[in-house]
Amino acid sequence: MTVSTLIIFGVFAAVFLGLAIWDAAASKKKIVKYKLRSSATAYLMLLPAVLLAFLFILLPILYSLGYAFTDYYLLTPNDIKFIGFDNFKNVFKEIGEKGTLYRAIINTVIFVVGVVPLQIGMALGLALFTNRKVRGVKIFKVCFFAPVVISLSVTSFLWLQILSPSETGLLNSLFGLFGAKPHDWLRDPNTAMLWIIILSAWQGCGYQMLIFTSGLSNIRDDLYEAASLDGANAWQKFRTVTWPGLRSTFVYIIITVFIGACRIMTQPMLMTGYQDHTVTLSYYMYTQGYSYRWVGYSSAVALIMTVVIGTITLIQRRAFREK
Amino acid sequence: MKKKFMQVDGREIPLNNRLTGKKITREVIYYICGVILSMLFLFPILYMIATSTKSEASYAADAGTVAMFLPDFAHLGTMFDNYGSVLANYNIWKYALNSFAYALIVIVLNILVNGLAGYVMAKMHFPGKRLFSALIIFLIIVPVETSIIPLYSIVKIMLGLKKTASVLGIILPASISIFNVFLFMQFFSSIPKEYEEAARLDGSSTIGIFFKVVLPLSKPIVATVAVFCFIGVWNDYLWPSMILPQAGEGEWPLMPIQAALTTIQSMEGITTGEIMASLVITSIPIFIIYVAAQKYIVQGFGSAGLKM
Repeated sequence: MTVSTLIIFGVFAAVFLGLAIWDAAASKKKIVKYKLRSSATAYLMLLPAVLLAFLFILLPILYSLGYAFTDYYLLTPNDIKFIGFDNFKNVFKEIGEKGTLYRAIINTVIFVVGVVPLQIGMALGLALFTNRKVRGVKIFKVCFFAPVVISLSVTSFLWLQILSPSETGLLNSLFGLFGAKPHDWLRDPNTAMLWIIILSAWQGCGYQMLIFTSGLSNIRDDLYEAASLDGANAWQKFRTVTWPGLRSTFVYIIITVFIGACRIMTQPMLMTGYQDHTVTLSYYMYTQGYSYRWVGYSSAVALIMTVVIGTITLIQRRAFREK
Repeated sequence: MKKKFMQVDGREIPLNNRLTGKKITREVIYYICGVILSMLFLFPILYMIATSTKSEASYAADAGTVAMFLPDFAHLGTMFDNYGSVLANYNIWKYALNSFAYALIVIVLNILVNGLAGYVMAKMHFPGKRLFSALIIFLIIVPVETSIIPLYSIVKIMLGLKKTASVLGIILPASISIFNVFLFMQFFSSIPKEYEEAARLDGSSTIGIFFKVVLPLSKPIVATVAVFCFIGVWNDYLWPSMILPQAGEGEWPLMPIQAALTTIQSMEGITTGEIMASLVITSIPIFIIYVAAQKYIVQGFGSAGLKM
């Protein structure tokens, strides 16, 4: 294990050195000449970052590629066998048999399809709502942004109390006013994902609101003036001025919210635990790799996930690109 | 779109320049909508703060009334009992101290490591520079999140899971951020060469210039990185709970506060009020940071847009 790390590092350093020498040789013909002393200083100053980035960023990516084709079990790191595509076969078998992985995919899709439009819609609405120069707007903005400040784990624990199944829980006591019986929102397969979607949108949308706000502030005022001189109503102004002006902001937001939503894990983990009706892809991957210690299998799931998310992101980028 | 008319200088657009009755109604409706929306966003937080002041009995008594969102003014003397017991019985102050310590170390290391790298990339010429630039762009684009299990296996095997080693496992991975290298790089390249040349004439070394000239000129970016590091470390839940061992009897625990919430939450006999008090305590430093460092956080959001 440690030996393989050293080998990978050695190969990397060698390739890098080769390319660097080639780079230096190529530049002889140009005006820039490298001084040995300052180059050495440069490498020395880069060293901590390079070492840490290699160990904690690059190596995990490479390993997760490699592990996906092995039967790596966390407790036996010295007994790793290459097993080809067996992990991937197991992944598709698990999906075909409608096992936990199948549920995880369904739940993740439900979450993404629910939270992306909800969160972005709320953020855009709030940004438009607060985009006026009147007194008190700043206070509104602070209120809408407040949930972002709270961490995901605090949010989860807080909503765990709000959705508590006892009749003193916030939601049950409110519904109790109308005579409803206490309900276990998070154990009910029909409502658990819905509430996770709602609380995630509640927690996150203030952040996108701020990004939309800065996008709105880049739209020139005279465009609106021109539109109103042409007799445009509020909706027409939104369609012809605001929307085109927000386009690049919108693409950025839709991609970041989408990627974030695909990774959802903390909320189900802390609120319901590993249950079939709330398990998500990241949570499944984490449980397989960390709790059950099947690193190889977990890496295969991660690899598929990265490829799928990456592809969808690319398609989104293409689809929303300006024509 | 009333303000647009107000900004039209010199020109008169008669209908909108006077406060007509219709306009006042619209203003009032706007503020009412604003207050309702704000309440929708604030009610869980109000509920959290209010409940943290209540004993189990008054919590149950308030259920279903407006008093759910109000602190327990009826029992002024015992309002902060939950905070007292969380601090005394559940050691939450130790976890909070841990979080502060981790955050401080990570901030210092993060600025040093990524700042030095950003400086080299922005200002120095050396063979292989284009390679590093390409690597930086590649690592910013690739989604790294899915590699947490391999990262765990690397940290576990390299450092072992002994106490000191697992603390390093918290600090070291958090100290490198390619995105921060990129931020520093952007900022440093805007510093005019003359500053460094003047210092070089005075006989400073490159590293001396970095610490004495470049860093002091870069307070805004240093502050932004520091604030985001603090928020990141303070709010991190998953990674610490993966790699840190549970504390034995009578030992100082290693968990930072977020990860410790799970432990506190599942203590026997803990009341709803005490849970809420621990959540409030966990959130207070982040609230303070957001209020105090607003300027730098907005700058950070601006640079987040750069990421595309």
